[in-house]
Amino acid sequence: MVEKDCVPFILDFLPQEGPDDTRIHRFYDHLREGRLTTTRCSSCGEILWQPRVVCPHCNADTMEWIDLPKEGTIYAHTAMVLGAPLGFENDLPFVIAIVRLDMGDHGHMLLFTRVDDAKYEDLAIGDKLWFKTYDCGDGRVFFRFTATAPD
Amino acid sequence: MAMAAVVAAGLTRWGVRKATWKELVQEAGKALFDSVENLDRKDVDALFVGAADPERFVFQAHTAPMVAEQLGLSPRTIMRTEMACASGQMAIKAAAAHVAAGVSEVALVMGVEKMNAAPMAESQTSMACVLDREWDGVQGGSAPPFFAMVAQRHMHEYGTTREQMAMVSQKNHHFSTTNPYAHFQKEFSIERILGSLVVAPPLTLLDCSGITDGAAAVLVTSPERARDFTDQAAYIKGFGQGVQGNNVTNLGDITKWPPLTMAAEEAYRTARIGPEDLDFAELHDCFTISEIIEYEAIGLCPRGEGGKYIEEGQSDMGGKVPCNTRGGLLGTGHPLGATGVGQAVEVLWQFQSKVPEERNVTGAEVALCHNLSGAANAHHITIYGRDA
Ligand SMILES: [Zn+2]
Repeated sequence: MVEKDCVPFILDFLPQEGPDDTRIHRFYDHLREGRLTTTRCSSCGEILWQPRVVCPHCNADTMEWIDLPKEGTIYAHTAMVLGAPLGFENDLPFVIAIVRLDMGDHGHMLLFTRVDDAKYEDLAIGDKLWFKTYDCGDGRVFFRFTATAPD
Repeated sequence: MAMAAVVAAGLTRWGVRKATWKELVQEAGKALFDSVENLDRKDVDALFVGAADPERFVFQAHTAPMVAEQLGLSPRTIMRTEMACASGQMAIKAAAAHVAAGVSEVALVMGVEKMNAAPMAESQTSMACVLDREWDGVQGGSAPPFFAMVAQRHMHEYGTTREQMAMVSQKNHHFSTTNPYAHFQKEFSIERILGSLVVAPPLTLLDCSGITDGAAAVLVTSPERARDFTDQAAYIKGFGQGVQGNNVTNLGDITKWPPLTMAAEEAYRTARIGPEDLDFAELHDCFTISEIIEYEAIGLCPRGEGGKYIEEGQSDMGGKVPCNTRGGLLGTGHPLGATGVGQAVEVLWQFQSKVPEERNVTGAEVALCHNLSGAANAHHITIYGRDA
């Protein structure tokens, strides 16, 4: 369990990430290693987003972790300007986007994400964004995307 | 033919109310009971309460027995329905199904939400938890940014304009000036709507429905019993729902809402009608862009032409299908659990010509009520007819 002092547990949108909390804790371990991953069903081969423990297509419960592309393009974007939930007010305004990831033979995948290092008006549909691991500052991590290309 | 009938209604004034949720329930209940001569509250054998999130908004669970307590009811069937912004319509569907199955003879439906109680950031948090908390909420997501991206994509793909979106807001705010129960009672010009505070670009404050307190009640019974209570009921002819999970990205293409088209097709099939038979509609205009996409997805106009539909006045009085004559969510406000019930009240009062003449769709035979919930991936439709 992770203690966070700014909002009570029940109002904290960040998930509990450890092996005692969730069976997909490796997703968060992978983020710490700089990898954005999800599960693929070992039985039917479907790529599942978000990571699952049981396949909704074939009912199998054996999964393998696969890496997702580290860059994508903006499918849509906006900014939260007014009306942020608790814990997000100090971030205002912040950019939100749906990012399109090219999955090769598997078509494409859409991800909902925060976007760092850009203002709303600096971005347009089709622009490139790059995955980054965001350090929540309390031992937890999550993924975001950034408008700044990695070195 | 009809599976059930809505025979009586009661509304509170909607707005930022100086009243608790239980007082709103009492007001709506009184209005309903006062409106029906032949109704003894002992005859109400079932109670369905539509409330989205009282656990968060007012820190209260187990609300249905409390509604029974406020209204002096001793129902043998009682439950609350939760489907976020569609909770009220789900309560009507549950009531109609119980009536059609013979489990209930006379059912009362109460939709209620008290949203202006906690500080605003807490209320925003309560609304944001409709999204998948672990994947969408965690990114700071809530309804306005999602629908803002829907608007951006619709503009990008079909050339829909901000002016066309503002026309939805102008129309619905105009209608709400004819509705004394509505939260908002003012007309807004296109310029004023476009120039209001940016909430999530391209959406401004007047593209968004309000944070509102309110309650709405209807009485549901069998088509056979309907005549005991009224000469003109609103007969429930069909239902349809469609759902595609809850995650923000599930729709694939956020400008098309396949679960809404599925819901509409199912509703038309069960009611044995088509979109060309609709005389008016209550559409879920949580944001202006929503109403534009809904015209398209329920078959009122071709894909991508929703902007043109509002611009041509087809959803206004005198148009093909007047939409949101009570003022919609934009004009009356959106007390989540009450909204779907408030739509049914409008349908009944339209059929009974109890609404002001300027918004009365005279001679209307068929009406559609629609709600969406979550990131537009769950849709819910009820079709009403003037005749059983
Ligand atoms: Zn599988």
